[in-house]
Amino acid sequence: MNCKLCQENLDAYLEGILPSDMKTQLESHIKECEACNQMYRIQVLADRVIGSEKELEPDPFLITRVMAKIGNREISGYRSVDIFTRILRPALMTLSLAAAVFLGIMIGNLSLPYNNTRIIPAELAMIDDASLESVDNLSNE
Amino acid sequence: MTDTEIIRAILQGEKEKYRLLMEKYQPLVFRTCLGFVHYKDDADDLTQEVFIQAYQSLSAFKGESAFSTWLYRIAINASLNRIRHSKKKSILQYFKNISGVEKDPEEIFLYEAPENPEEILIRKEHSDWLGKALDSLPESQRKAIVLSKYDDLPQKEIAEIMNISEGAVEALIQRAKKNLREKLSSDSKKMINSVGKK
Repeated sequence: MNCKLCQENLDAYLEGILPSDMKTQLESHIKECEACNQMYRIQVLADRVIGSEKELEPDPFLITRVMAKIGNREISGYRSVDIFTRILRPALMTLSLAAAVFLGIMIGNLSLPYNNTRIIPAELAMIDDASLESVDNLSNE
Repeated sequence: MTDTEIIRAILQGEKEKYRLLMEKYQPLVFRTCLGFVHYKDDADDLTQEVFIQAYQSLSAFKGESAFSTWLYRIAINASLNRIRHSKKKSILQYFKNISGVEKDPEEIFLYEAPENPEEILIRKEHSDWLGKALDSLPESQRKAIVLSKYDDLPQKEIAEIMNISEGAVEALIQRAKKNLREKLSSDSKKMINSVGKK
C-alpha cells in the first residue's frame, strides 16, 4: 500500500468498515511510514476529542430557564391568540379608568356641604330693605 | 403527539407544550452548538438562545421540512453568528480559560474527570487544538463536518439542512477532512505524543 491509498482508506479503517485484506495492508503501511503513522495518530486524537465533547450533557435547568423567558414573549407574526391582550385589555383598562374618575368626582360632590347662597349682583346687595317703601303703599296709589 | 400537533397547540396558546419540543431536541441543539463553540458554557448559552429564537419564529415553521431540520438551521446560524460577532470576546475568553482565571478547570475540559494537573493541561490543549482547526475551515465545510461528526447525521439529512445536493455534501466533508488533517498536522507534534504509535 502507498501513502495515497492509505490516506484514502484511513477513515474507513477507523470506522472499522475496511475489508480485512486492506486492513492488514494499511496497518502494515502505518507501521513502516512515519508520515502516515503521524496522520493516523492525529486522526485518532481528533476523533477522541470529538467523542469526549459528545459525551457532555446540556445544563439540566436549561429548559426551565427557557420556559421562564418565553413566558412573556409573543410568537412573532402570530396575533390572533393575543387579541385580548393587545386590544381588548387596554380598551377595558381605559374605560375602567374613566369610569373610576367619573365616580370619584360624583362621590366627591356628594360629600360637599350644600351651599344655597346665590350670587347677588352688587347693585342689589347695596339696597337697604328697611328703608324701602312697602309695596302695599305703592299699590294703594 | 407529533411535532406538528405540538406546534399547533403552542400557536393556539398552550405555551407549556413547548417544553415537550425542548425535551426532545435539546441534546441535538446542544451537540450542534458544541461542535461550533467547543465550550460547554457557550454551548448552553447558545442552546438557550436557539430555543428562544425558535419559539419566537414558530409561526414561520411551515412544516415543509422536519422540525429537527428547521431547528438545525437555526442552531447553525446562531452558532456562526456568535462566532462572527464575538471574535474579540472569544479571544479574551480563550486567554482567561488558559490562565484558568474565570472557569473551574473541571468545566473547561471536555474529557472525563482528569487525574492530575498535567492531564488537565494536555486535554485543554487538545480541545483548543481541534477547535482552532475546525474554526479555520470555510463555513460550508465546517457545517458539513460538524453535522457529520458531532450529530452523526447521514449525508441525506445534511444535504436537506444545508439545502444542497448529497454529492455536494460528500465533497464538502472530504475537503473538510483533508483540510482538517493538514491544519492539525501543522501543529501536532506535541499533541500526538499522547497517542501511541501503531
